[in-house]
Formats: sequence, C-alpha cells, structure tokens
Amino acid sequence: MEKQERIVLDVAYQPQVRTNMDTRRIMLNVMLALLPTLIAAAYEFGFKPVLMVAVSMASAVFYEWGYRRLTKKEPSIFDFSACLTGMLVAITLPTSAPWWLPLIGNFFAIVIVKQLYGGLGKNFVNPALASRAFLIASYAGIMTNFAPARAMGVDALSMATPMSYLYSGQPMPAYYSYSNMFFGIMPGCFGEACKAALLCGGLYLIIRKIISWRIPVSFIGTVAVLTLIFGHEGYDRVSWMIYNLLSGGLFVAAFFMATDYATSPVTLPGQLLFGAGCGAITVLIRYFGSYPEGVTYAILIMNICVWAIDKGFRRHQFGVSKEDIAAQKAAAKAAKEAAK
Amino acid sequence: MIHTFKRGVHPNYMKAPEIPISVVAPPPQVIIPMAQHIGAPDKPIVKVGDYVKMGQKIGENPAPVSAPVHASVSGKVVAVEPRPHPLGDMIMSVVIENDYKDTPCEDLAPLTEEQLKDPEAILARIREAGVVGMGGAMFPTAFKIRGGIGKVDKLIINGAECEPYLNGDHLTMLNFPEQLLKGIELVRIASGLDKVYYGIEVNKKDAIELLNSLHPEKYGIEIVPEKVKYPQGAEKMQVKAVTGREVKPGGIPSGVGANVVSTRTCYAIYQACYEGKPVIERIVTVAGSAMNKTSNALTRVGTPLGYLAEQCGGFAVTPRKIVLGGPMMGICATSFEAPTIKGTSGVLFFTEKEDKTVEDPHCIRCGKCITVCPMNLEPVFMYMYYSKGDYEMMEKYHITDCFECGSCSFNCPARMPLTHAFKTAKLMFQAKAAKEKAAAEAAAAKEAKA
Repeated sequence: MEKQERIVLDVAYQPQVRTNMDTRRIMLNVMLALLPTLIAAAYEFGFKPVLMVAVSMASAVFYEWGYRRLTKKEPSIFDFSACLTGMLVAITLPTSAPWWLPLIGNFFAIVIVKQLYGGLGKNFVNPALASRAFLIASYAGIMTNFAPARAMGVDALSMATPMSYLYSGQPMPAYYSYSNMFFGIMPGCFGEACKAALLCGGLYLIIRKIISWRIPVSFIGTVAVLTLIFGHEGYDRVSWMIYNLLSGGLFVAAFFMATDYATSPVTLPGQLLFGAGCGAITVLIRYFGSYPEGVTYAILIMNICVWAIDKGFRRHQFGVSKEDIAAQKAAAKAAKEAAK
Repeated sequence: MIHTFKRGVHPNYMKAPEIPISVVAPPPQVIIPMAQHIGAPDKPIVKVGDYVKMGQKIGENPAPVSAPVHASVSGKVVAVEPRPHPLGDMIMSVVIENDYKDTPCEDLAPLTEEQLKDPEAILARIREAGVVGMGGAMFPTAFKIRGGIGKVDKLIINGAECEPYLNGDHLTMLNFPEQLLKGIELVRIASGLDKVYYGIEVNKKDAIELLNSLHPEKYGIEIVPEKVKYPQGAEKMQVKAVTGREVKPGGIPSGVGANVVSTRTCYAIYQACYEGKPVIERIVTVAGSAMNKTSNALTRVGTPLGYLAEQCGGFAVTPRKIVLGGPMMGICATSFEAPTIKGTSGVLFFTEKEDKTVEDPHCIRCGKCITVCPMNLEPVFMYMYYSKGDYEMMEKYHITDCFECGSCSFNCPARMPLTHAFKTAKLMFQAKAAKEKAAAEAAAAKEAKA
C-alpha cells in the first residue's frame, strides 16, 4: 500500500482508448497506395520517376523542416504529410521534366500554399495541385512535353498525348487502345499513365476507410455521364466517354487529389456535390478550355468552394423531426402575424 | 432482425466473459461515500463507535432524487469524515472496520407474494434498498420508474454492454438468468406495463440463447438482438434502436414514451425484492495492461481501488491511470484510496500502452468525427467554434446535444481532445444559463419590491 501512494496518476478525459489509425499512419497508407503507381511508372518510363520522387520528397521534407525551424514552430516532418506532398508533386510532373523542377514546385506547395496558412489541415487549396498550376504557368514548355512509354517502342523525346487528340477532336490513333491506356502504355505524367495501378491504390484507400468513396465515384461518374450525353463529332458516344476517362489525369485526380482532407468537404452530401462539381468543371474545361487537361483547375476551383459546401449541408438535429421543424416555423409565423 | 442506430464506432472490445466470477475478500476497512447517486448527497445516520450490521442503512436523504446507502460489511464505524471519492473531490464517507463476521441486518425482509405484484410496494423497496442506475449513471431507479408511469409505453432493459472490457452484465445473464428475468418482470410491474423489451448486443449470443430458452414471454419480456456497436448502450441509442424514436434535444427518454433500465439494476431489484438485500456488492471487471490478469470480481461497495487491484492478481507494471467504468466514457480516479461505489462497473489500470494522446494536436479536417457521431453532430466545426470561443455558433451546431460518448475522439487520427472540449463547453453553457437565471430572478425580485 505504501508503494501505491508513491505512484503519480494521470488524469485524462474520456475516451481513454483511441483508434490506431493516427495522422502518421494515414499518410503512410496513402503513400503505400501510391506505390503501385510508382512501380508502374518505373516500368514504363525507366529509372527517372524514381529519381524524381526521391528528389521531390527530400526537398518537400527539407522545406517543411526549414520553415518550421526558421519560424520557431513545433517540428512537423514526422507526421509525414510533407513526404506525401512531395510524392504527389512528383507524380504530376511530365516524364521529360528536369530534376530541379520539383525543388521549385515543392517550395510553392509546402511554404506558400501549406505553411503560410498555418500548416497541416489549414491550407484551403491542394498544395500539390496548386504547385502544378504554378509550374504550368511558369514552365509551360516543360510541363506539356511528354515522352512515350518504353513499351510503345517509339524512339522519340516528345509525343502527342491521347488528351491532345481528344482536345483537337482528331481521331485517336490505333496504338492508343483502351487496354494500352488502362495499363499506362502511353505518354503522360508519371502518375497518370497506369490506371490499373491507380485503381488498386484508390480501392485500397476506400477499403481501409481512409478516403470515402463519395468523391472519386461522383467525380469519375459525372465525367462519364456528361461526356456520354454530349459526345463529340467523329467519335461514337461510348468510345468518347471511355477515352475521356482513360486519357488524362482523371484517376489520379479523383482518388489522390480531390480526396485531400483539408481541401475537401467533411459533410457527406457535400462530398458528393464536391465530386460532381469537379467532374462538371473538368468536362467544361476539356470542351471549351484553352488547355487540354482540366482536372487540375477543376479541383482547385472546387477547393475554394469547400467552406460554402460544408455550410450548406447539415444533418437533421437528433430528436427533431421534419414535422417539429414545420411546427416551429408555423408557430413563429403565427407569432409574427399576431404581433402585427 | 438485428436492431441498431446510425453511425458509432467499433473499438477493440477486449471482453473476457469466459473468466468466471471471482469473489473478492472484503477489505479490512470499507469506505462508503454518502454520494452514490445523482442528486443531493445522503446524511450519515451512524456515528463513530457504532456497531453496524451488513446491509444496515447508514446514510439517507428525504429528497426524492436520492437513494440511501448501506453498510457492505459488519463491524465498527471508525470514522465519519470526508474521504477521496472515486469521481474526484472529498466526499463525506462512513468508514467501517470489518469484523469479518458479515452479520446480516434483517431490516429488509423479502417481499411477500402480494407485495411482489404491487407496484407501490416494489417502488418503495427499490428506493429503500438504495437501487440506482448501475450502468454508471447512478440515477435513483425508483424515481426514474415513478416518473415514467403513465407516460412510458416502451420499457427497455439495457443489455448492450457496449463499453470495451466490461463483462458484468454478460456474466449476470449467464449465471443468474432466472433471477434476472424475475427482476425485469418487477420493473415491468412497477411501471404498470404488459411488455418490456430487453436489448442485448449479439456478441452475447450464448446469453441470448439461454434467456430465450427460459421463456421470457412468461414474464412479459421480449429479447431484442442488437448490432455490436459503440455506443449502443447509451440511453438515447437504446431508445432509437428498439423503438425508432429519437429523444428530444435536452430531453429524457420518457419525453418520447420510453424508459431505459440497465441489466445490473434489474438484478439488484431482484435481490432487493426477493432476497431483501440492499445494493452492497456488484461485479466489477478489473483489467488493463498494468494488471497481471483480468478478473470479473464480485466486489463489496466501498472496497479501496488499491486493495482491489492487489486481490485481483496485482500489477505487472506500474499503472499510469485508473479508469472507472469502461474506457470510452470512464472517468479517471485520482487515488488508490478511493473506494468502488454502486456505479463502478469496471476498474481499469492503464499504462502508456493504452495512452494515445499527443502534445499539440492539429486537426487535419478529415471529417472522420462526422462519420461516427451518433447524435448527427459535426464535431469538427463544434471544436473550431469552441477554440474561438464563439458561443452563438456553438449553439447553432447544437453542442449541448453531445452526450460525451467519445466516439469522435476515439476515431480522431489527429488525437484532438474533442469530447473534452465539448464537455467543457457544456459546463460553460450551464454556468451561463444559471447566471442568466439568477439575473432574471434578481430583476423580478427587484420589480416585486418596487
């Protein structure tokens, strides 16, 4: 008994137990979900994607560490969110990008978009996509120059992507078959080529309940439905729809970019609307925009609407039925009229 | 059909109903606090030097929202003074030196056949025996049942036991099924109803089968299987799962014609009416990573926590925390000297292993709190307005609807102190309301004078 008296007891508020899935584990799981994509990229484009991802992740972590140190804030590199941002920045780069491009992209993503607004969870646009938009504006030539995948057997430094065929409305060449595009035998950014790998990663995240199905399904679904309805000259409707789904960065955007926690709605109907909005703007840009691929700007635009979307979707208060609300309104109205 | 409510979480249950009930030897001294119920504390009716028998009433209060307390051992009263209460603070307590004779007190005789059919007699006995909500809320049961007469058409017995670790209800079902059914029947008679629903989570399949084999319909009981999900055992979720009704904001179940009584309470009512035994002992699950083993210990009320741990196998490592009740809604005790009380369903000795708090947590806005809140709340926004001190918006987001089940905090990957914040906010709202009320009363008094 004397021994017990010397033990200092902690007092904590409930609950006393918590789930194992913490922030760090979530970030690691998303990186794990991107691994198939990275392997596919290495298979398709050689050693370069691996190098780019390594440079990008290292620079992102360096900026995060440096910023927190210079501003004398708590270090935050061990939540691994900077690692993930670095990975996402790298996979949105084209195959021909020089090795120093991620250094610039990550500075914009980590320091300007994320840390200046207060760090993890406080930024209002997706850091990786904002940095991509910045790079497209600053390095248009590099960012739109795509080399073919090795398996295509074409010896060229640059090649027109399926997206550019769709944009110009020309018929799709035969080597861009559905299966080639699904398995990533096409030019493109490191992360957008292999749809099969992205789908594996995305499904993993949904099954682990790290992301909700609502955003990817409503995003991809909206693109599919709209392109099927509107179609395009020179294509039959179904193949136009399938090309639209497979040719660009739709999958990587729907599973890994639009689902970013800080910049997507937390309300469940809000997530459906957000995904649908992303899809609709993507189609709008692809039809009428001045740049072939629209997913980047579609998501950035919807990011800005998140606050309003979340405010618009509230669940009913527990214990208050629709009749109760109607009765309350009627009573208020009656009181108003009585006052008159 | 399996009944349930919307959302909720699946913690690691850590249940051990296969461990049989062990009897803890009564301690050399029991400490019986005068506050073992919600409402005004009792006043001690014994003094130092008195000899008390086991089951003798030692504290009472005439207020309707109260319950008397009884001696859990026989022996000499050695102190009547404030002692550490398990839920914090120093509370007036009666300390009894055990004479190890367990001389029983004959004040409460078993009820007669006629009395067992008379609601008034049953209610009087429930009160006299000090029965309170033994799920942990410790609301005086007689007052609760009486308040529901005429209003309540759905009486629900809570057998969910949704908190991790706890096995007391499950073991009561398995070991005393007939007594339990008789106890439930008494609650039904006292409520003046023909039917009572017994909601049990399906992880207690053996108990459901056993109870069903004893023809519960004879007692007017229907067993309702429920999905295994936390917080199924919360009153509001029980009402929702069994009847589909939603308790009104700020209201109690009887507002929508339902009443919820816990399993252990029904067994205590059986003991009070059929055996003339007041609430002086209960099954306490003693577990946690600091313990050598897990025990389902039949423990006298007033057993000091440190003594209980020693009797239940002792510590493997030094505990960091003592949790009373289950780990989701349980409260930390601050002293090994504090005793178990009527509402103590479990005593968990935790170490760093269970502790997953972080310093300086950051919300990542994942919205996982929204996907689990059983009350349709949006904890992420409630917390945001709480940190800003924005009362108006906190009210708009119905912060006072939160009943602190802890699901949001449990599921939070960033380890935000959500439940803690909402609890604090609710206390601030209460203080604000009390202040406003006092101001209004003062103004009214002034007006009356003028």
